[in-house]
Amino acid sequence: MANNSVNNDKILKVFSNIRCLNRDQLPRYLDGRLTDVEKHLVEQHLVDCDLCNEALHILEQSQYRDKYQSLSISIQQYIRNSIKQVSHVQKAERYQRKEQKKESLLIYFWVVAAIALAAGGIYLVQQESRFKAQAPKPLASTGDLKAIPASSTQSIAAKQDTVKVVPVVPPPPPPPVVVKEKVVIPVAKKDSLKVKDTLKVKTAPVTKPVVKTDTAVKKTPAAVKPPEDKKDDSDTKKTPVPKDNPPIKKEEPKTVAKDKDDDDKKPVTKVTAPAETTSTDEFLYKAAMVYHQQGDLNEAISRYKHLAASNSRYGELARYQLAVCYRSKGQTGKARRMFKEVVDMNGSMKDKAQAALDNL
Amino acid sequence: MLQQLTNLSDKELISRARKLKDQEAEGVLLERYSHLLVAISMPHLNTGPGTTPEEMYPSILQRLSNSLKTQTIPKANEWLHYTVKAQNDKADRNIPFFPSNESRDVQQVENKVEKASNNLLEQQQLANQIQQVFKQLDTEERFFLQQFYIEQKTFAELAAAKKYPVEKVRLKLREAKQKMASLMMTQTDGK
Repeated sequence: MANNSVNNDKILKVFSNIRCLNRDQLPRYLDGRLTDVEKHLVEQHLVDCDLCNEALHILEQSQYRDKYQSLSISIQQYIRNSIKQVSHVQKAERYQRKEQKKESLLIYFWVVAAIALAAGGIYLVQQESRFKAQAPKPLASTGDLKAIPASSTQSIAAKQDTVKVVPVVPPPPPPPVVVKEKVVIPVAKKDSLKVKDTLKVKTAPVTKPVVKTDTAVKKTPAAVKPPEDKKDDSDTKKTPVPKDNPPIKKEEPKTVAKDKDDDDKKPVTKVTAPAETTSTDEFLYKAAMVYHQQGDLNEAISRYKHLAASNSRYGELARYQLAVCYRSKGQTGKARRMFKEVVDMNGSMKDKAQAALDNL
Repeated sequence: MLQQLTNLSDKELISRARKLKDQEAEGVLLERYSHLLVAISMPHLNTGPGTTPEEMYPSILQRLSNSLKTQTIPKANEWLHYTVKAQNDKADRNIPFFPSNESRDVQQVENKVEKASNNLLEQQQLANQIQQVFKQLDTEERFFLQQFYIEQKTFAELAAAKKYPVEKVRLKLREAKQKMASLMMTQTDGK
């Protein structure tokens, strides 16, 4: 068995892969300085290797043998030098590549982070603006719906238009006023009648509008309750108007009624000029009221302040509303001062202002 | 790094040089064969223009380097011998190196033997196969193989015994070996 395995090893040796002669073995083989085993291994390799065999044959000649050593060393040195340079350059390149990769990755990261932040910021701003835009709508619409369910959508649109237009263009065009006044509160309706009067005066004979105003005045009690039914009126408008507002609405009809009386007494042509100023004040007042109803007290206060300087009846109303706004904001000092001013003005709102002062 | 590369086989160095574009591996491979390269190209030194050692060896190394990147190299020594010879003979046509069929067969059998080195059963099977093929050879071929591989006689002893030149003994042994490899591969393919 042992003999068999030895034979197997020897047979397999026929196809054993042996490396070429190294630079040490080559001269030693030529000089016959190899051991028997080593020599046999070299000869096994020589059976297949033409390269080693040819090298041995050439080096057997003494003329080449002398030069061989020096040339062999010089070519070895040449290769090593080229490898060193290359390896140094390669290392530098690898390092540079690594650094570049790191830098580029960092740049990508920061770019992506910046984009994400920007997108997030834009999204948040959009959401906020949407929320702002959407929030007031339901309040306004519900108020209108409860007040006048018949023409709700038109009224919302008209209101929004007036709110947006008023601060930019102080004198409002008559047609939108008419549209709006048909829709909004009873006070406005009565005022609109006056506007209608003025409009009709320009086109029609004097007598006709007078008759019409009469009919309009007669009609208003039917459509909207007269100033006497203040409590009922306030009940109908509970939802759209805050608690502080009812006194104003109670007062407004009074002033309107007085105006109507004046209108009746005075000639119609003379009414047109003051009516324009009052209509702008009225317009501004309503715009402020809209903000007030929407709960934007700061905006409402700034608008009321504009109106407070006016000498018309809306000046007094605006001051009263200012006082209400201050009160609801918790600025009782300012509210008290405003109520006092209203009382000092000795106008139609005096009683209400006095009552509010007493409550403060 | 260089020390680690010098321990690698030719196959691994070639693979590194080609796949990883590792010029250090390429340098180690060329350095391994540089003394043989010098020896076989010595007769061509100073025989004409561009044949000084400073010109010829760098150009040979460059040619080898270029060839290494493009050619399939089953045996480094054969590829190197072919390329250096082509350079020294100044062959105009750069015909790529292709190993002969006999050489391929020998290499395949060598790989088999190397693979079976850790498995006794496989070794046994291979030994049996080689013995069967061995019986199919000529008596002279059998004599040379037996004397050289089993009796461990040298080329000189065999040459003296047969009164052949040493080179002829080497060629006889080579032919016998290649014949055995071819027979083994045909048997394997036939299965």
